[in-house]
Amino acid sequence: MSFFGFDSQRHNAAAPGFSQAHDPFAGLSQRNDEDDDAVDFDDTYDGLGDQLDESGDAFNDDTFGGGDTGAAAPVGKDFDFFGQTAKVSSAIEEEHVLFTRQQPAPKAAPASAVPPAPAMSSATSVHYTQSYQPYSQPVRTGYEKYKEPEAEPIPDLHVDASLWGMPAKKPAAESAPKPQTQPPTSGRKVMSLEEVERAMREQAQRPSQPSVQPAPPPQEYAADRVDYYARPDSAQRQQLYGAEQSQLPQPPVHHGHGHPVTILQRPHSRTPQQTGPVSSVPSPQPRSHHQLPQASPIQPTQILQNPNRLSGDASRIGLPTQPAHRSQGSVNRNQQQQQQHFAQLSEEDKAAYLDQETKRAKRNHKIWLLSKDNGLMTPQDKNFITRIQLQQLVSATGNPGEVGNEGSLAEDFYYQVLFQIRGGQRQNPNQPLNNFAQTYLFQTGSRQGGMRRQGRAAENHAQRMEQQVQRAVEAAKNKPKNPQLVIAGSLGKISFSNAKTPKPLLNIKRGGDAGDGHRAASNKRMGSSSTALDRKAILRNIERVYNTVMLMEDHARLAPPPPTNGNHEEFHAKHGEWLATAQALNAKLWDELKVHEPIRENTVHPFIAFLTFPKGKKVFSRVFRHISFEQRTTILTMIIFHLDSLDVVRDAQLTHGEKNLSAQMRENIELFSMSVMPSLFAYFNDTQIDIVTGVLGIITKLNVDQIAKTRVGTSMLTLVLSRAELLKQAGGGDPRLWNEWDQTFDAFFNVLEPTLPHMFPGSVNAGEDVLVWQLLAAIGVSANPEQQQRLVLAVKDRVLDTVAHAKTLPASLAAQRLGTVNLFMHSIGLDVELLQ
Amino acid sequence: MLFFSFFKTLIDHEVTVELKNDIQIRGTLKSVDQYLNIRLDEISVVEELKYPHMSSVKNVFIRGSVVRYVHLPAGSVDVPLLEDATRRASQGEMRKILNRLT
Repeated sequence: MSFFGFDSQRHNAAAPGFSQAHDPFAGLSQRNDEDDDAVDFDDTYDGLGDQLDESGDAFNDDTFGGGDTGAAAPVGKDFDFFGQTAKVSSAIEEEHVLFTRQQPAPKAAPASAVPPAPAMSSATSVHYTQSYQPYSQPVRTGYEKYKEPEAEPIPDLHVDASLWGMPAKKPAAESAPKPQTQPPTSGRKVMSLEEVERAMREQAQRPSQPSVQPAPPPQEYAADRVDYYARPDSAQRQQLYGAEQSQLPQPPVHHGHGHPVTILQRPHSRTPQQTGPVSSVPSPQPRSHHQLPQASPIQPTQILQNPNRLSGDASRIGLPTQPAHRSQGSVNRNQQQQQQHFAQLSEEDKAAYLDQETKRAKRNHKIWLLSKDNGLMTPQDKNFITRIQLQQLVSATGNPGEVGNEGSLAEDFYYQVLFQIRGGQRQNPNQPLNNFAQTYLFQTGSRQGGMRRQGRAAENHAQRMEQQVQRAVEAAKNKPKNPQLVIAGSLGKISFSNAKTPKPLLNIKRGGDAGDGHRAASNKRMGSSSTALDRKAILRNIERVYNTVMLMEDHARLAPPPPTNGNHEEFHAKHGEWLATAQALNAKLWDELKVHEPIRENTVHPFIAFLTFPKGKKVFSRVFRHISFEQRTTILTMIIFHLDSLDVVRDAQLTHGEKNLSAQMRENIELFSMSVMPSLFAYFNDTQIDIVTGVLGIITKLNVDQIAKTRVGTSMLTLVLSRAELLKQAGGGDPRLWNEWDQTFDAFFNVLEPTLPHMFPGSVNAGEDVLVWQLLAAIGVSANPEQQQRLVLAVKDRVLDTVAHAKTLPASLAAQRLGTVNLFMHSIGLDVELLQ
Repeated sequence: MLFFSFFKTLIDHEVTVELKNDIQIRGTLKSVDQYLNIRLDEISVVEELKYPHMSSVKNVFIRGSVVRYVHLPAGSVDVPLLEDATRRASQGEMRKILNRLT
């Protein structure tokens, strides 16, 4: 037993434990015995040591390598129980099978393969490759037993490759590396490339030794290499291929074959830079003569290969590994040997070598850092993951093509629009945030440009990836009904919620088909029996209008841009299409506004009811923007016709001042003035006298008294009258129409005259009568001298009161008051100055 | 997504987050994610005497699920726009449901 350097030869063979059968539980039972019998325990020293160690040592041979083969070899302390063998575990498996078939292999001296290893690694390994294992320690893999024909086969000891999910490798790939080394060492797959090559070289130098093995055609592997190009995890395999290739046809040409592996990382920069100077260094040892130039190309391969990887895998699974052992031992040895190596170099060479080495060290360290996790996933795994991620993205965003605009805007509407409004982001609503999938596609495209330089294989890969992405997107597009992904198992449970749509806590089931049908039916009922307009129905109408308006707004943004390249036909086609949709939406909106519902007695018209709600008022200006002039006229007519039944008129008499109104009503009035009136005002600026006359005619037939006593009514009247006056001043127009206007105005004035003294809201000192003065001014300019006379008579008291009141006010306020009165006074050619 | 979208606009505004354990934390909203997890900077606890252990905390990351209320600065909320955004969200919902049905 050579465990921890304990020399087994000196043991008393007669001591208990040595001759015992291998009983895994021996220790336990013995320990129990000891508890019972403490005197025996103290009797002999040997008995103590054996009892403590022997039971545990039973399988040391299997674990660390038998004492029989390795008795002469130095015993290192950096055991690598698993990591290295695991790397080639599947190979070992194969080997095992193969070996048992060709049992009578000559047991060549392991010395030929093993002892030189340290020297070689001294040249190749550098101190920074901490995890790089030079394989210089005693090669005790625990598989020595397999090589002994007489050893009883222990089939369960070899590692099952499927443990860590590695696919069983192709038999060709596995059987290939085995024969290239000598049969005795073939059992240990744990050879570095250097070792392998050195062994090959030896083989080549001794041509008499027959190469036992049927060589697979090298082209096959070349093809494979292209195929696996840029796949990190295949680096290991490639190493094998490369080694094998270099061995098979022309053994001496090592450099050339080492390169393809290196190219994996840095095709352009590395090779010329390094092989030159490094190879110029005179090699001190004949052994390392070949190794030195190879060092640079091969080194990165080791890094790439990432010895940590499998042990990492294993540790994840729960298998024991000893990374610490390995790295410590190897680092120390590497440094020692490097120094040794340095001592034999000339100063210049040393400097050059050092320089070179530092550079390479830096680069390799960087690469190593980056490649720490290389090969964790196979390319297939990556593709699979990418596809899943893409599908989730697509399903989350919805259809990328069509929703690209709409979807992300709908998802993030508030944020995007608010920032447009506030100028935080100059982002055109036409181009909201790009869809993720599209971005991804775009990026792949641009990335591909860079990769193209690196050769065809990379290009193919990128193209394949791109196609895959496209396919994924397509597939998701074709299945919008099933947006949620049901791929479970391979990656664990995939949550149905994703970043875009977190899992809803409340999942309220809607009625489904039946419910919808019911709602449609109720809608129909509501439409037909609009006489019974309840609050809910009106609100629902309003919401429908909102939805349509929003659709129209979206649609307006989608208007095709005017042709830039003179392709008018295409533009016209698109524009026609766009117009058709716009008209359909317009018709829908018009229908939903219910302006054309028949006017019935004693019921509120649906459209007027619509305007009684704050949100109905709010949507008004937005609606107005999307309807034609005729439709606006209709709406205006509708509003004028129902002016005295509008809530803001009917319930908002200002006789006793605004303060008498409820807060809600005041809010309503404010809202109406802010949202409805501006639209009407804008509309009026486009009207001709015929419409103005018509409007005034309608008003005259209404309850003018009531209208004039409200803020909304007053401003409406001002609007109509001032427009007429502007038109009159602009001149032109049909004299007959003006005649009509004059008649209508006369009629209106007659109706309004009794109300004139009572129009003013509140008392004189309330100061709320600006609007009324404006109206009076509008009437004044339109009136003939006789009407002006009557006007002055009607409001004379109010004028005098205001002037008197103004005298009690501070100068600025007084001026303001008098200014408003003067508005009216000027219109009839007077001035408050005359009264003072 | 509506709320996410909404809270994104409040970044760098001062808000008061009321947690389900009744602690109210006032601070500058630094970030929010789709789970409405919230990061606040320069925080102060509203009832500092009651929660002295919070007095040395300068910033917090609050898991969205423990938030009861977020008190907003009224001035930085665009109500009509929010209404429209709500309509859009519900429209989107409706569309999804219809898609599923058809």
